[in-house]
Amino acid sequence: MSHSADPSMDREFLLAEQKKYFTFMNLAFLMTALTGIELVIIFLPFPGSILIFGSLVFLSLIKFIGVIFWFMHLIYDGKLLTLIFLFGMVLASGTSTALLFIFNSDRVDQTLPFYEEGIIAHEAGPGGH
Amino acid sequence: MSHAHDTTAPLEHVPTGLDNKKLMMWLFLASDCMFFGTLITTHLVYRKIYENVGVDPIHIFDIELTTASSFILLMSSLFMALAVSAIHKGSIKSFRWNLVGVIIFGSLFLAGQVYEFNHFVTHAGLTISSGTFGSTFYVMTGTHGVHVALGLLWLVSWLCYSFSPRFNAHQHAIDIETAGLYWHFVDIVWIVIFTAVYLIEYV
Repeated sequence: MSHSADPSMDREFLLAEQKKYFTFMNLAFLMTALTGIELVIIFLPFPGSILIFGSLVFLSLIKFIGVIFWFMHLIYDGKLLTLIFLFGMVLASGTSTALLFIFNSDRVDQTLPFYEEGIIAHEAGPGGH
Repeated sequence: MSHAHDTTAPLEHVPTGLDNKKLMMWLFLASDCMFFGTLITTHLVYRKIYENVGVDPIHIFDIELTTASSFILLMSSLFMALAVSAIHKGSIKSFRWNLVGVIIFGSLFLAGQVYEFNHFVTHAGLTISSGTFGSTFYVMTGTHGVHVALGLLWLVSWLCYSFSPRFNAHQHAIDIETAGLYWHFVDIVWIVIFTAVYLIEYV
């Protein structure tokens, strides 16, 4: 851990931290506004609209990026940390996307018992025969 | 007030140039991404397959309360970022006040979740065993709640330790930053859950 004995370096560091304070405040206000917009969007009279869906994903993505890069300091830290986290994110989102495509609702036998209650047995589930 | 110091500057005595605690926390968070990714995907897959789940999520969700919970968690993240900044500057008093803010907002979030679960069980009859929706919903949001509770315990212990004469801002800054990373992570998980589980039901 670096520890500066030079007072001018300390001053520089403190100025940078002061700048971060305003960045954090602005980011928090932005994310609060985005959360409010998300709430308003879902009550707009466009049910099932891809535009609404896309807007929600986009807004949450902005909040996600805001937190990981500024609050979690990724923008100030080494690139290795960004790569490590992105690796986990890519694996997680890739698996999620694959599963959502694999378990397409069109492939489910809706005549199976208990289907309507959503308590269908695993052995008779979508992958079953 | 102790000396300010920069934990983002590269370290010379380790090959990665990064503090090992911070590196390990990021590795853990990357693996936790996959853990939560699985839980969220399981909920979405079952929600897609079994459209008729017995209860209409729109009728049982209180989206205003959930939005307020999201706001509360975002504010706790702001306080956490300020607490980390304060400890880097060596300002222990400011660090403590910001940490108190995180703990208050984190507790409010947990209280909101307890109220929500209680409402679902008593008013809508939605329990963990009442179907795939109940199972996946409670496991996913409950796991997130446990993460928040563990984070709170961690932060409360740091708050108490900060009153100890052994506490040193310079020495413990990296530990506080590591705890902060964990706290921000539970916030980003909630950002995803809020959109993928709650808001999406209204589209």
